[in-house]
Amino acid sequence: MDAKVIVFGETAIDRLVQWLRATGQPQDIMDLVRQYLEILSKAVREENE
Amino acid sequence: MTAAPTLPADQQRLAEDIYRLMVAQGAMFAMDTPIRQTLASLAAFLARREGRDRAELEAAIDLALSADSRFTREVVDGEVRFVTTRQGAYVPREDADTHSFKQRLHDPEHPLPIDDISVVVSTSRPAITTVEPVYISDYWQVQLAAAPVEPEPEAVTAPEAPAPVAEPVLGEVPLTPEAAPAPVEAAAPEPAPAALEIPAPAPVVEAPAPVVAPAPRPAQPPRSTVFTLSDGTAIDLRRPVDEIMAEYGDLLARVLAERLERDPLQRIVSFGRKYYPEANLASFGKNDLRKIRDYILERNEPLLDTEIIADLYYHNPRQADYEGFRFSLNYRLHREKDFEFVGVEGAYLWATRGLTITSGKRVKAAEMGQITSYLVEGYDDSSELQSVEAVRQSGSVTRLLTFFEWEYGVLPLDAGLAALLPPPLLPDQRTAVLRFESPQHYTTYLVEVRFPAGNRGGWLQGLEEFFREHVAPGALITITRTGEPNVFHIVYEEGPEQTERLLTFDEKKNRFAFANVSFYCVVDEEQLPTQSRYGRLNRLKAFPMGERRKAELMLEHVSETIGDQVGTPAAPRYAVTLDDLYVAFNVLRPGSRAYLKALLERGEDFSADESTPGLYYYAPAPRASAGEVEEEEDEALEERPPLRQRYGRYDEDE
Repeated sequence: MDAKVIVFGETAIDRLVQWLRATGQPQDIMDLVRQYLEILSKAVREENE
Repeated sequence: MTAAPTLPADQQRLAEDIYRLMVAQGAMFAMDTPIRQTLASLAAFLARREGRDRAELEAAIDLALSADSRFTREVVDGEVRFVTTRQGAYVPREDADTHSFKQRLHDPEHPLPIDDISVVVSTSRPAITTVEPVYISDYWQVQLAAAPVEPEPEAVTAPEAPAPVAEPVLGEVPLTPEAAPAPVEAAAPEPAPAALEIPAPAPVVEAPAPVVAPAPRPAQPPRSTVFTLSDGTAIDLRRPVDEIMAEYGDLLARVLAERLERDPLQRIVSFGRKYYPEANLASFGKNDLRKIRDYILERNEPLLDTEIIADLYYHNPRQADYEGFRFSLNYRLHREKDFEFVGVEGAYLWATRGLTITSGKRVKAAEMGQITSYLVEGYDDSSELQSVEAVRQSGSVTRLLTFFEWEYGVLPLDAGLAALLPPPLLPDQRTAVLRFESPQHYTTYLVEVRFPAGNRGGWLQGLEEFFREHVAPGALITITRTGEPNVFHIVYEEGPEQTERLLTFDEKKNRFAFANVSFYCVVDEEQLPTQSRYGRLNRLKAFPMGERRKAELMLEHVSETIGDQVGTPAAPRYAVTLDDLYVAFNVLRPGSRAYLKALLERGEDFSADESTPGLYYYAPAPRASAGEVEEEEDEALEERPPLRQRYGRYDEDE
């Protein structure tokens, strides 16, 4: 994924929902941001590799 | 319907007769439902009707029906039966489903090519619900096939010794990217791929035609790893996440929260700092809400979410879904009008409509919000005595009690208290309920914190009983944090018993008076409203609370009441110190010294004594004689704006 097309809070948000459902627990906003960054970083890395 | 077979006439008649009989018997049957009769029954019936020999007739029937294709002969337990249907010969139904929708769905006649196994929908439900893959249409499959394919690295490198290729071959076989780069060695020529049917090269070719290798496509520029937020902040995703979080964590949290809030699907919902998938929320019906409301009213105080869950739902914190259930409860109650969140971070308290949190609301919230508006207008000087940092570090606030605070059990929410108390958890939260414990008396008080909103200040209420019973105006009180986020300790410095004639407010007579009061705490003598020091305070008019909002008017009244008359009866002039003004002003309403100074500087009738710091003069406009008063009153009604408008801070409607 080209990071230029990322809209923070919209791009790949379904993956964040997936992760949140998998945890089964309410998460703090900072944990949510951290996980979201992990998802975006991974998406960008995978594409470049 | 099956036609009757060609039989001897009597057999044909007999078979036809029996067929009509049996069809009549099964007139209400479905067309293909079997109609059965035993040979014995048929023979008995016909023998009786036609008066013939039964055995002879039985043989004739057996012969006729066996030869007729509309009948099927069965032998069950030695008994002969004939079966037919309304549509003729009986054909057993076949239930084998060889062309079902289900089969056609999963085994299409012309299946599309599958490049990626992940696009195949699994029949088993995954443990985690995923977004179902979308099958790409034929159009895009065709486009994908037609797109130019990047040559393999081996194909790009030119062969060391290009093999001679016969020209006719090139003319017959179109050169495809896959076929062209295949190198053909001159020494040991390999056969071309069978699919292309390229014949072996001719052994002797004098002028081999050059094979043009396809030009390598230019390498794609590396994709960007930097994304930009709406405010222009650029963040490189190659950096470690911890590093990004340390630098932009708060900003990203704010942006993400806003985006999730605006998500039309509301896939992730929030309560406070916690986020949870909307699909995982537990449901609470109207009966649940009614039950919770009744329980809060029964307990007569705001309840923690954990209490509600434990007492009404018997959920155990060790259950795996406990936190999800707790979130669902808080999220649902927050959306209900009948419930109000009055908790803080770490203690989610819920109140409901009809619940009185603190007893004796002698001051209306709207009036108190306006009275304490000076705090949000920049006249909060509480940090001069104890800095906000010091309060945060020490976890306690010490302050002197004024008469107004003592009388009404109210504390203005200044910077010191705001630094000590937890902030509102929700953006629209107006109130939080805290528990103040007195370790000196083992008593507990519910204190309502009203947060500032707009141009209205905040305050605490609910300490009326504690103040009136244990301390006096001018007492030094200390409020300290505890291990619980919603529990605080309130203490005062104890002292020997003192009895003084102190200012009190007689609510029945609606006036101030001095009375003997005994107290057991250390007080600041300067702040203690004794008769000996502030003897004129009982002359203060007990304005209704609505009038006390007008700070300028109160200041004029206080200056006139407690100031020393240094002018003439015709042109009065009152001298008053800032310290006295502070004590007297705080009898009628709260106000900081900074606020009083601003009012004194702003007031046209006030002037400072330049030789004596802290001394002010109040020279009200000269009063007219009695006769002139009546005339001027009429004019004033028409010309002069009302007091509220004169001071320009409050509208008439308020």
